This record gives sequence, structure tokens and C-alpha cells, in this order.
Amino acid sequence: MPDPTTPAPRGLRLGVCGPVGTGKSSLIALLCRELADRLSLAVVTNDIYTDEDARFLRAAGVLEPERIRAVESGACPHTAIRDDITANLLTAEELEAEFDPDLVLVESGGDNLTATFSPALVDVQIFLIDVAGGGDVARKGGPGIERADLLIVNKTDLAPYVGVDREQMVVDAQAARNGRPVIALSRHDPDSVHALTAWVLEKLEVHRDGQLVPQDPGPMAPHSHGDVMHTHHDLGDHDHPAA
Amino acid sequence: MSAVPADLLMMLLGDARLPVAGHTQSATLEGGVQAGLSAAEVPLYIAARLSTTVRVEAGTAVVARHHLDHGLPLEPVVRAWAARVPSAALRRSSRMQARALLRVSGRLWPESSAVAEAASTPGVPRPVALGAAAVAVGLGPRALARLVGYDDVQTVASAALKLLPLDPVDASGWVHDALLLVSEAADAVAHVIEPGQIPATAAPQTELWAEAHGASNRRLFSA
Repeated sequence: MPDPTTPAPRGLRLGVCGPVGTGKSSLIALLCRELADRLSLAVVTNDIYTDEDARFLRAAGVLEPERIRAVESGACPHTAIRDDITANLLTAEELEAEFDPDLVLVESGGDNLTATFSPALVDVQIFLIDVAGGGDVARKGGPGIERADLLIVNKTDLAPYVGVDREQMVVDAQAARNGRPVIALSRHDPDSVHALTAWVLEKLEVHRDGQLVPQDPGPMAPHSHGDVMHTHHDLGDHDHPAA
Repeated sequence: MSAVPADLLMMLLGDARLPVAGHTQSATLEGGVQAGLSAAEVPLYIAARLSTTVRVEAGTAVVARHHLDHGLPLEPVVRAWAARVPSAALRRSSRMQARALLRVSGRLWPESSAVAEAASTPGVPRPVALGAAAVAVGLGPRALARLVGYDDVQTVASAALKLLPLDPVDASGWVHDALLLVSEAADAVAHVIEPGQIPATAAPQTELWAEAHGASNRRLFSA
């Protein structure tokens, strides 16, 4: 939990996580492009074994390069956002000390469906899945899909090309989330982009009012699909690089 | 001073599960592997560190502990350490790790003036932060030096599992087989009390690897 003895009047920390290739870096580039004229921003990236994401963002020209910092996670992206957040926390604090940003975006390394941020690192978190990853991903559930502050179903413009029923995927996502928000996002769809930026700005307002309490999507809880009770030990696409 | 037995506190400080970003560190093994170091050579690398880099680190920790325990200033210790670590990449990494450890120490031992002093001294490296933690928990100089050596060996061994084709039990065997060398390295520095007595045994090859690694953009580890 944030240290109660140092009530820092810092900006909002927003975490973005989700499996590899779902569009985390592009989402962050999009947020920077949409918000940079209104807010002071900074970004922490957690690549698995390169600083590719940081370089992508610097090359996108959406922020001054010195506001984008890469953190190495020792091939442990899950650890770096959950059970030992030190490297990310120190980097976020560095950026806050240097630039006093309104918003620090923390991009997790691509991990699996069970990886979510510790509430001691970020104030709010977005979990990202995409239509190209398969129409059934939303139904697989998991802490991020079910309980992140916002679930984004990304790349909806690709749905016809990958044989996925976009509407069904969004319905599945909503069903998994018990009323928590879902945005079906395509960067080519201005309405969906507006819904995203409006959500971020609303969270920033709540944070500035001192009313934001970080919510932990938490560990997996046993739950049922139909009549079978089980826990998810089989949530796939874990991508720790091989030795 | 705590009533908790010192050996239990030493286990806490030596445990990789302590959230001090240990998983981001390879003790320059990744730089070595990038330069062609093989799995078979890792035990030699471990032994080489125990006679060079580790003695600088352990000596610094022991002197920092003594200075904090006797109300002596920390700055000369920090300067002596920096003079013995030519690689800017390694100094940067050590200072980041010190901030991580001091964050944890400040929360676990908020009453410790040693921890508070280390936290308020600019540029302290990891061994100085460890020296402060040792004062906070009542760990003696020999145990502290052993902790530094043990942690270094485990850091290399666990990073090796990520970087090289290995049976994890072999890596544990390397650690086990290095324990006597850890003990000897600790004995060699356990008595030092002045900054000038800290061994000046940096390893030029390690420093070169660390510099090249720091400039690379394909890496799993911070250093």
C-alpha cells in the first residue's frame, strides 16, 4: 500500500497490462497523442529483453525522450509489477521528481492472463485483450479481465479479418466483469478513443480529489463456467523467454 | 536493537523474495555471457568475483557498518567505494539497489538512526545500505560480509538459469561449492574499519563487461 506517512501530491499512476501483442505500446502512444496537449505525461516501460517498447514510443515522437524510461525485469515481468515492484516504483518516483507529471503510464511487459499490478505501484489499471488473440479470450476470465479498473477489447477493426464476432466478444467481456467498464477500442474509431480518454480523465479527477482508492484485481478465485467448478491453472500464452 | 535472533534477520536480508529488485540483477553475468562466457565457466566467474569485486563490496559494507555504529561520517566510505568501482554502470546500478534496500529498511526498522543516516547521505551504494541494515538488526561484521558474498553468488547462479542452458540443481551446486570461498572472502574483510582499508580489487574484465552491457539494448537484467 502507498506509504501513509508520505501523502505525495503526485499525479495519477496508470498501469497497462495484458498478454503479448495485444497493443499495450500502441495504446500508450495513443494516450500520449490524445492527452499530451492537456496533461504533463511520463512513461515507464517493462520490456522482456529489449528496450523495444521505450524506443517505439520515443520514435513515435509523442513525448520528449527523457520522459520515457525502460525498466529491466530480469525476465520476470509478472514479478516486476506484482511481488517486487521496486524497479518500477523507483523509476516512477524519479520521473515524478523530475517532471511532476499529471499522469505516469506504466506499461507492463507482455505476460499472461494472470498478471495484474500491485495496488502499491499504480492507482488504476487497464487490462488489454484483442480480437486477434481469439474470440474466446474474454470468456477465459482471470483477475485482469474480470476485475481490472478498465478492460479494453482492442483492435476491433480487425475482427472481420480474424473471424471473430466483435459484438459477442464484448458481450462476453461484459458478462465476465459484473458491471465494470469495457471499451471496444480501435484507434481508427474516434468514438472509442474518446471513451478511453474520457475514462482516464475521469480517474485523474477522482485521484486529484483524493477519492481514488487503488483496487486490486487480486488473485484468482475459483469460479464456475456452467456446472463445472475449477480454478484456472491453464491460462495460456506465458512468454518468459527460454533460457 | 531487536530481540529477534540475528540469524533469522540475516535470512530475511539474504532472501531473494525481499522486494529489493534482486530479480533485475545478474552481477554482470549477462555482460559476460554477451561477451562469450559459457555455462562451464560460470563457477570460475563466481570464484573470480569472490576474490575481487565481492571484497570491495563486502569491505565497504563492513566499514559502513562500523562507521554507522560509531557515529563516524559515511561520506568517506561512499567516496572510498566509488574510487574502487571504475564502471559508471556498476555505480549507478549499486546506487539504485541501495535506494531499494533503504526503502525496505526504512519501513521495517523505522527507529533505526543508521538506516536514516544512510538514507539521507547522497549517493550511497548497496553495500553501505546493507551496512546500515546490519546495524539496524544487530548483525556483526563477519556475518554481514558473508551475506554480501552469499548474495553475490546466488545472484550469478540465478541469473545463469535465465541466460544459459542449465539444470537448476547444477546452479545450486555451484553455490554450495562456493560457500567456503564466501567464508574466506568474508574473513579477509571482517576486521576492516577504515575506508582506506577497503580492498581495491575491482576486476577490470568485469567492469568492461558491465560498461558494454550498460550500453546494450538487448538485455534481461539491469546490470
